Amino acid sequence: MSVETFVTDKAGLQKFYEAVMASRETYAPVEKFGKFDFKRVARVTECDPESPIAKTQSIKPLFFPRSAKVMKFVATSAGTDVSETDEDPLAVKRAILGVKHCDARSLQVLDKVYNWDYIDTDYQKRRENTVIISTRCDRADTHCFCTSLDYDVENLDALDVLIVNGSDGKIYIKARTPKGESFLKETVTGQASPVTDEIASPDLKKQYDAFAGSFRLKMDYKEVNAKLSKIFDTPEFENVSGNCVSCNTCAFVCPTCHCFKISDEKVKDTGVRYKSYDSCNNGYFTLMAGGHNPRPVKYRRWRQRAMHKFVYYKERFGENLCVGCGKCTIACPVNISIFEVVNQVSAAGVQE
Amino acid sequence: MNYTKEIQDIAAKLFAEGKIDVFVGYRVNGFDDNQVPVLITDPQDVSKLVFTDKSVFNLVNYLKNDHTRRKRVGLVVKGCDSRSLNLMLTESQVKRENLYVVGICCEGVVDEAGQKMQNCTDCMVPDAVVSDELLGTPSGSDTLSGSYKMNADIAMLAEKPLTERAAYFEEVFENCIRCNACRHSCPLCYCAKCCIDQETATLYNGANTTSGAFHALMTWSLHLAGRCVDCRNCEKACPSHLPLHLLHKQNESVIYENFQEHLAGVVTGDRGAFYKYSLKDPDDFIM
Amino acid sequence: MEQLLVPMICKVDKVIQETPDVKTYRLKFRDEGMMEKFTYLPGQFVEFSLLGSGECTFCIASSATRTGYFDCSIKKAGVVTADIHNSLEEGDEVGIRGPFGNWFPLEDLKGKNLLFVGGGIGLAPLRSLIQYCIDNRNDYKDFTILYGARTSADMCYKEEIKEWQDNKTVNVVLTIDKPEETWTSNVGVVPKILEEVVNPVIENTKVITCGPPIMIKYTILSLKKLGFADPDIITTLEMKMQCGLGKCGRCNIGSTYVCKDGPVFTNEQLKSLPDEF
Ligand SMILES: Cc1cc2nc3c(=O)[nH]c(=O)nc-3n(C[C@H](O)[C@H](O)[C@H](O)COP(=O)(O)OP(=O)(O)OC[C@H]3O[C@@H](n4cnc5c(N)ncnc54)[C@H](O)[C@@H]3O)c2cc1C
Ligand code: SF4
Ligand code: SF4
Ligand code: SF4
Ligand code: SF4
Ligand code: SF4
Ligand code: SF4
Ligand code: FES
Repeated sequence: MSVETFVTDKAGLQKFYEAVMASRETYAPVEKFGKFDFKRVARVTECDPESPIAKTQSIKPLFFPRSAKVMKFVATSAGTDVSETDEDPLAVKRAILGVKHCDARSLQVLDKVYNWDYIDTDYQKRRENTVIISTRCDRADTHCFCTSLDYDVENLDALDVLIVNGSDGKIYIKARTPKGESFLKETVTGQASPVTDEIASPDLKKQYDAFAGSFRLKMDYKEVNAKLSKIFDTPEFENVSGNCVSCNTCAFVCPTCHCFKISDEKVKDTGVRYKSYDSCNNGYFTLMAGGHNPRPVKYRRWRQRAMHKFVYYKERFGENLCVGCGKCTIACPVNISIFEVVNQVSAAGVQE
Repeated sequence: MNYTKEIQDIAAKLFAEGKIDVFVGYRVNGFDDNQVPVLITDPQDVSKLVFTDKSVFNLVNYLKNDHTRRKRVGLVVKGCDSRSLNLMLTESQVKRENLYVVGICCEGVVDEAGQKMQNCTDCMVPDAVVSDELLGTPSGSDTLSGSYKMNADIAMLAEKPLTERAAYFEEVFENCIRCNACRHSCPLCYCAKCCIDQETATLYNGANTTSGAFHALMTWSLHLAGRCVDCRNCEKACPSHLPLHLLHKQNESVIYENFQEHLAGVVTGDRGAFYKYSLKDPDDFIM
Repeated sequence: MEQLLVPMICKVDKVIQETPDVKTYRLKFRDEGMMEKFTYLPGQFVEFSLLGSGECTFCIASSATRTGYFDCSIKKAGVVTADIHNSLEEGDEVGIRGPFGNWFPLEDLKGKNLLFVGGGIGLAPLRSLIQYCIDNRNDYKDFTILYGARTSADMCYKEEIKEWQDNKTVNVVLTIDKPEETWTSNVGVVPKILEEVVNPVIENTKVITCGPPIMIKYTILSLKKLGFADPDIITTLEMKMQCGLGKCGRCNIGSTYVCKDGPVFTNEQLKSLPDEF
């Protein structure tokens, strides 16, 4: 590979981060109330690019905002004026630090739904203008299962710049995409020196192997896909969702969930239309005027969640709608684990 | 505090006597030593039940329509939980005859880090106020007589100048992601159509703006003023770890001071400070 | 995406009170040039906004063969539709996005006998196709419309039904659920009248049906009993929708997006979907 790898140390990495922040609008995990959310930062000390896995929200809101203003409208005597809002300028070049691999991967999954048929150009612009800088985790957390899914964590190309903690305090900075490569040209400082692949690769591999060995959760996603696709009606969905309180949090924190609702807010003659997150675990999600609801009970809603993630999306777009980040399980007030749900249901379905 | 054996026995007996359809209790979550709620319908599964100081979640939530409608339910309640049950009963949300309540004389529960929960240190009513069977030794003391503890965080905030307090809450609302997990995990938020989580603009739309969060959370806290029992289900559910108890405890202390030392759900049949209507009310406004 | 969610402004040209709870809104684009660009086929729908209140999905109830306007027939059913009924008047402005969704398989219908089976507000999408087919009458053979409503007052498009009845090439069968003093036509639910009165030829016939879910269910059972094959039974599905773009995730049945792959499906296609609608 012609792509260059750099080696540096902790201080050099800080310098690199500073250079990133000097070169573009930078977002990174910032702690608030014990939870890390990606916010605009100007100094390295404000953020923690290696924030704890279990306490970090996803980067999804930087591409698909929690609430986007769709438009403004004003009723005038001449008629209604409708205009797109110019907030959140899309042309700004951005960089995101401290992105976990799973989170970076989620964008590739989301690309599929945003780019079929009607194209979400806002999302696309945000994608194009953003450089993803991702530090490879050193250890998996309790609910992580990224290595068990349909993507290659070791050689992930969803990130533009890879950072790896090597042995003896060495830190590698490596471009993974052409975008990352040209970005590194601008930002890598004298503190980091190029190394050849021969030197870097064994160390990178060693780090990866240690990381890959740290997973509590492992599964064969192909088997789960295959088994689940044959199951629709099974009481097991009721068993796994028994203590779900239909609180929606799982979908709100999930980096791959993309459901939204559209709602208006109007004061006198002016108003705004918003597009905000929504979740299929919600009782009203499919409730139609007149009272008909195809998913009136929570096991059906959970079935939709599990099946959308591991069957429907795969059928439609060829990918699992799950990157194994475990965010849903951590956020869930009763710790329902998507990993356990799909494994338990697919195992039970076959016993019959 | 460990009533695992007792609760397993009670549940087994209730199933054997055909008195319940489902038993709501706790089980270990399967990955660390923390616990999650479990709804047991198969008598074989009662061995999963546990109860220790890790039994945090307020199970009264599962009496809401979504979960156990028209079923006879056995469930475990701690002091705070039992007060929310009391309110559900008073507000005609559940029928007492459909319930078998295992009350706990609670010694306090701990959070994931093993720290005693703050609501437990503040707690004035550790013994379950509704039960068919009480486990543990009642604390005995007349807990309600004048020992109200001002919440430490509220006391701390009260010291700060107004602008600082405003900035603090601004930050709270800014970090809310409008997922509504707080309202869904609260046992007393049982409205089928809740004004803060509708899709179409009724009162508030679901937009995730600071002002949207402010309006929604303030409305929510007012709907719970005089009803919140400080079980902290909401706070535990919040994915942004927001200090939601601040919204409720402030109301609680104001009500305690101004409405004859009223505490939510302690007395059966008491509708709560803001929910009593009397023609003789000297004030000419309705809250 | 955001710009895909911004509607075009239309003016309400006319409001017709069809039944106590259904009104037809005749719409014209404020920007006149838009009207020509707005091409649609029977079966497609629009997202209709009453700005400030919200957005709802309605099928286009008229055919593009009748130019210069389009119709939406709206039943008062929930929050936004109630606001529409209460506040929207002639001359007012609404937002329209669309047209979305697929359309009736017009090519497959050519040279066939057509049997339309509608119930209540379900006549709205059929009306678009009926108008289209009447305007291209020579492309089709026998033409039968079976329409049922709860009471005679609940029948939509009363004036237009008279026109259809006057049209010698169209056979119109009407029914209401319960007898009424002044009602001289059939009485009974749609599936019953379908079997007992219409008794259609099966050979070379396509059935297009739309109505309340329960009516569709029993109509399809009757059609099967009469001997119709699944690919010849065509219906439109109603699922909760918001974006119409295959993005918001509300309308899916399995991996099918009703707003993109539907709302028009043959019974054959419906049978391959998970049973969740
Ligand atoms: C393809 C299609 C064509 C339709 N054509 C017509 C028609 O021609 N005439 C007519 O009267 N009705 C039609 N409907 C139904 C109509 O969309 C609903 O009655 C309407 O959205 C109810 O909105 P509401 O705000 O009054 O109800 P609420 O219950 O307050 O609904 C809130 C929101 O949920 C959504 N929603 C609720 N019910 C439905 C539903 N049944 N279908 C889709 N979205 C829903 C809407 O986005 C609505 O804004 C159609 C539905 C679909 C899917
Ligand atoms: S479903 Fe859970 S584990 Fe999978 S991507 Fe979403 S949050 Fe992560
Ligand atoms: S799992 Fe549910 S909320 Fe998430 S994308 Fe799928 S349908 Fe939407
Ligand atoms: S799933 Fe866990 S281990 Fe894998 S990349 Fe994400 S945070 Fe790191
Ligand atoms: S976060 Fe947990 S309780 Fe909430 S909807 Fe998801 S699975 Fe259910
Ligand atoms: S508001 Fe929170 S603390 Fe109060 S009763 Fe509800 S869940 Fe418990
Ligand atoms: S749970 Fe937390 S983030 Fe979610 S709506 Fe409530 S306060 Fe906001
Ligand atoms: S209506 Fe939004 S995906 Fe179909």
